[in-house]
Amino acid sequence: MVRAYRPPDFQSALTIMRENRAIPLAGGTDLMVSRRRWSGLSPFFAKPVLFIGHLEEIKRVEIDITNIKIGSACSLASLLEHREIPEVLKIVISQMATPAIRNIGTLGGNICNASPAGDALPVLYAMDASVVLQRKAEIRTLPIEKFITGPGETVLKDDELLTSIIIPKKSYNVGFYRKVGTRQANSLSKLSFQGLARIEEGKISDIRISFGAVAMTVIRSREIEEILIEKSGKEIEKLIPEVSSLYSAVIKPIDDQRSNIRYRKTISLKLLRYFLRTVLISKIG
Amino acid sequence: MKGKIGKSIKKIDVAEKTGGYARYIADMRFESMLHAKTLRSSKPRAKIKGIDIPEIPQGYYIVDRNDVPGKNRVKMIVNDQPFFAEDVVNYIGEPILLVVGPDKEKIIKILSEIKVYYEAVKPVFTIEEAEKLNTTPIYGEDNCFADYEIEKGDPDEAFGRAAKIVENEYRTGYQEHIYLEPQGMIGIYESNRVTVYGSMQCPYFVKNALIQGLGWGGDRIRVVQTTTGGAFGGKEEYPSLIAGHVAFAAVKAGKPVRLIFNRKEDIQATTKRHPSIIRLKTALDDHKKIIATDVDIKMDGGAYSGLSNVVLQRAMFAATGVYNIPNVRVRGRAFATNNVPSGALRGFGGPQAFFAIEMNMHALADHVSEDPLDFKIKHMLKKGDHTVTGGVLRQDVKLDEMTDMVLGMSDYRKKYDEFSKNDDQVLRGIGLSLFYHGCAFTGSGEKDIIKAEVKLKKREDGKVLILIANVDMGQGAQTTLRKIVARTLCIPVDDVIYENPDTDVVPDSGPTVASRTVMIVGFLLDKAAQELKAEWEKAPEVEVHKVYEQPGYIRWDQETFEGDAYPVYSWGTNVVEVEVDPVTCEIKVKGIWGVYDVGTAIDERIIQGQIEGGISQGLGYATIEVMNSKDGKILQDSITDYIIPCSMYFPGIESKLIDSYYEYGPYGAKCAGELPFIGAAPALASAVQNALNVQIKRIPVTPEYLMETAEGEN
Amino acid sequence: MKINFILNGKNVWVETDPLKRLLDVLREDFGLTGVKEGCGEGECGTCTVLIHGKIAYSCIIPVGAADHAEIMTIEGYRKTERYKALQDAFAEAGSVQCGFCTPGFVLAAESLLREDARPGETAIREAISGNLCRCTGYNMIVEGIKIASLKGKGLW
Ligand SMILES: Cc1cc2nc3c(=O)[nH]c(=O)nc-3n(C[C@H](O)[C@H](O)[C@H](O)COP(=O)(O)OP(=O)(O)OC[C@H]3O[C@@H](n4cnc5c(N)ncnc54)[C@H](O)[C@@H]3O)c2cc1C
Ligand code: FES
Ligand code: FES
Repeated sequence: MVRAYRPPDFQSALTIMRENRAIPLAGGTDLMVSRRRWSGLSPFFAKPVLFIGHLEEIKRVEIDITNIKIGSACSLASLLEHREIPEVLKIVISQMATPAIRNIGTLGGNICNASPAGDALPVLYAMDASVVLQRKAEIRTLPIEKFITGPGETVLKDDELLTSIIIPKKSYNVGFYRKVGTRQANSLSKLSFQGLARIEEGKISDIRISFGAVAMTVIRSREIEEILIEKSGKEIEKLIPEVSSLYSAVIKPIDDQRSNIRYRKTISLKLLRYFLRTVLISKIG
Repeated sequence: MKGKIGKSIKKIDVAEKTGGYARYIADMRFESMLHAKTLRSSKPRAKIKGIDIPEIPQGYYIVDRNDVPGKNRVKMIVNDQPFFAEDVVNYIGEPILLVVGPDKEKIIKILSEIKVYYEAVKPVFTIEEAEKLNTTPIYGEDNCFADYEIEKGDPDEAFGRAAKIVENEYRTGYQEHIYLEPQGMIGIYESNRVTVYGSMQCPYFVKNALIQGLGWGGDRIRVVQTTTGGAFGGKEEYPSLIAGHVAFAAVKAGKPVRLIFNRKEDIQATTKRHPSIIRLKTALDDHKKIIATDVDIKMDGGAYSGLSNVVLQRAMFAATGVYNIPNVRVRGRAFATNNVPSGALRGFGGPQAFFAIEMNMHALADHVSEDPLDFKIKHMLKKGDHTVTGGVLRQDVKLDEMTDMVLGMSDYRKKYDEFSKNDDQVLRGIGLSLFYHGCAFTGSGEKDIIKAEVKLKKREDGKVLILIANVDMGQGAQTTLRKIVARTLCIPVDDVIYENPDTDVVPDSGPTVASRTVMIVGFLLDKAAQELKAEWEKAPEVEVHKVYEQPGYIRWDQETFEGDAYPVYSWGTNVVEVEVDPVTCEIKVKGIWGVYDVGTAIDERIIQGQIEGGISQGLGYATIEVMNSKDGKILQDSITDYIIPCSMYFPGIESKLIDSYYEYGPYGAKCAGELPFIGAAPALASAVQNALNVQIKRIPVTPEYLMETAEGEN
Repeated sequence: MKINFILNGKNVWVETDPLKRLLDVLREDFGLTGVKEGCGEGECGTCTVLIHGKIAYSCIIPVGAADHAEIMTIEGYRKTERYKALQDAFAEAGSVQCGFCTPGFVLAAESLLREDARPGETAIREAISGNLCRCTGYNMIVEGIKIASLKGKGLW
């Protein structure tokens, strides 16, 4: 039986991390499933466990002029109820799991779990989110795409905690999200697509496109997005084949028990085209 | 009770279940009870060369083939499946031994230290491989658990004069039951007797399996059903296997032993619906009428025969669906493979057959440029027609009336025309299926094999006990059977007592399968109640005993499969409307309608529950319930990956019953439990076909499949 | 670790491995077998409990995370008037077949109704979307919840 700690406050949590290199457990909705054993037995952990889900310091949402700062241990449900959380993020969260899981599961957990099918990730990539990591005597901030390095892999150090997620405030006038799972509600993603854009005076002034569950990590390419900047509806229409084929080169899904390569890739590209043509261009007019 | 019997009453078990009082098997505790965990084969096919077992601490036990005092075979139609593997294993998940003891942690440790030495044998994973016989057969000489042929009329002659011959092949996949309560058993050995408690449909199947496995007299064996959290066929034959396990373990340890599956284990190791490949070759004449059909049904039976031959028979007997086709040949084969054994699941071969037939009818209509519905209607069976096996449809066949009703309810004709004019924005479609279910056991099985017995007992306090071996697994038997008895005796329902069956107390009224409980057992109870009523005053305590008698009209030859394959049929028609996402090919169900002929409904709300639950399970089967096996291993082995419908999956269902009466059923009732499942998949697939203008040839109809089909046709 | 919480209105504590599943603690240490295990992975809802009035799946919650929480299981809830209204409505609508899922649905309904006493069909379907039922096909459960919200007027 490993030790489990329930620190009274965030500072003690950091101390415990330093001394024990513990596994943080926020909601546990990922950990308790992946570590489960025979009913009646505690799940298996090779290292001590640190409960962090109750720590008020990392359960807050703070807003300033430029950023929204979301505490890592905020439950998904609490974010849905929060007035200041951007609608585009709420749309994503409302399609994650089920009400009971959202009551317990946290945004930080979804990020640190770093699953290619983690649903909160594409929108966070698209919004240029960054993560704040803290250990005793060190705080660092990284863009989310630098934080996640592969399936289940992050640059988190073994005494470090994710404390908050920073999302720059931006207003988009086009948002399009599609999660494709096996069932309309409550199923893990086969693939997902996130498109965000700002249209000004008939042209695209800002655009972000990301794909979930179709590569080792979320796909977002600033170079490809760049091609679309300052373009009009007509120009975009002409660029669709090129942009499609550029994304096609980076979308590298796998076959697994939920879907296959062909479907994941084809539909991702179809969603891209749908976004560009049907959503964006029709909005530009 | 007054008024129509069908008027719903409050289901007897609502309060105990809703309030969490009901005790399912995992909720039961016995003094010094031990836990058991199964060591399973990790190889699909291998010889066991040896097993290293670590030192076992005091109080822990290994239970294996050597602990089976009787015959190490689970009693089934053919006795080929061992309780514990002997020298070979034939599927991943096959039980080899149990580790039993008081502490789970220690059990797991022992399990991890056991080493099994396998010598791989070339396995067989698919129907195609099994048919090719490219390795040593798993079963018999031809790898077939069953290979049957039936013929009606003169198919060769008819094919000879056909104006057109059309061939189509259809495939159906696995389906897992996902009863929400996983399998579980507790065995107790006390005073030289074994008692097994568990979640099950067929207490006497279990008892007979224990008699064979223990090699003991039936008087030393007792089986008690515990409140069963769903079954759907999954707790028909499978519980016999694990009842054996806990019984042998209890005898060895001298203590109660509990074996409760977790979900993964349940999905990996227990039976599933048979995957199938069905080929239909159809001959049409100049008037676009079907004159003959040649049907070839192949099923994947998995590693042991189980119920494969009866499942196959049901599929074969349904091979022309609800259509009157004069000349027919049906070949059916159930193959042995190194996959987990397939088994009973609601519909029992019917869903596979009806999917293929209904889609084929659709394809034929397209082929001859006729409206599919009109094409179906013109071939529809009528009273007096002959079935594939040459049986006569003696009772009313109200398909045309039912079809009219469902067309009206769903506005099918108008929608069909509208949706057929495809515009690419919203892809909408509507489909209709026609189907039946043969009630109860095949042919004269009730008389020759089951020989049901029931007892009714009036107690001194005026209460009446129903003594039967049938179980309530959610389908409402506790309520419907009480209603029947209460009504016949003219006493309040609350005065009728019907406990979970205990084989020490109840006679063998047969298994709770084949939608037979109300029609066969209920009818016997009705007769018993009539007799009890006549003898009510004779003594303070009166017991009556009734044995099944076959209605005089049934003719059946089990050797040649000729005659009345079932005593009577229940009928149904389903309409499903869908919308297919033009980008992702995801299917959204927009409307569901159904009309059913189940004879008299003993309780309308319970029938509605069967209809709604059956359709839901059928739509899951048709769409999202994907289960594949790769190299003998089930890939979707959790509820995370094997997805069943949730509350958001489809809209409300509008269903109606039509008036009908069967004179050998209680108050006119026929069968209802399996029927509603059968029509869902073909109706859905036809709707998708209508939406996309492609031919659907397999279920589940996944977006992956639709995308590939659409790309293929472009 | 010693863990304190309020269980069905009573202050209780248990000395156990804090990583043990709340489900096992409720079933084994407190004998509350109305909490069921259908999957053990957060997918079926048969292990539903209310934590501070909101539904949660006890199979994926370590008991240590529930320290000081207010937990309600069906055994506590069934003593309430609201439960009675739901039970009657479930009987009326035919919401119960095998019953293995039913306590979970009752608690999911309670968690919904306390937020929204007159929920529409979509809200009901959404609120129970994590609870699986293989027997009923859900419509009759949705209907049960609707009836409870109408007949149980004033209770929520
Ligand atoms: C039934 C079910 C359905 C689900 N459906 C979805 C879905 O639709 N979409 C989806 O994306 N996910 C889904 N999930 C996965 C899961 O619920 C989410 O990923 C959730 O956000 C995880 O949060 P948590 O707090 O529960 O994570 P935990 O299990 O507590 O932690 C996950 C990982 O992150 C680490 N971690 C957590 N917090 C921190 C921190 N502050 N600092 C450092 N490390 C940390 C943990 O050590 C662990 O490795 C589902 C899970 C279940 C059980
Ligand atoms: S047992 Fe907890 S959700 Fe299934
Ligand atoms: S009633 Fe059986 S699972 Fe819901």
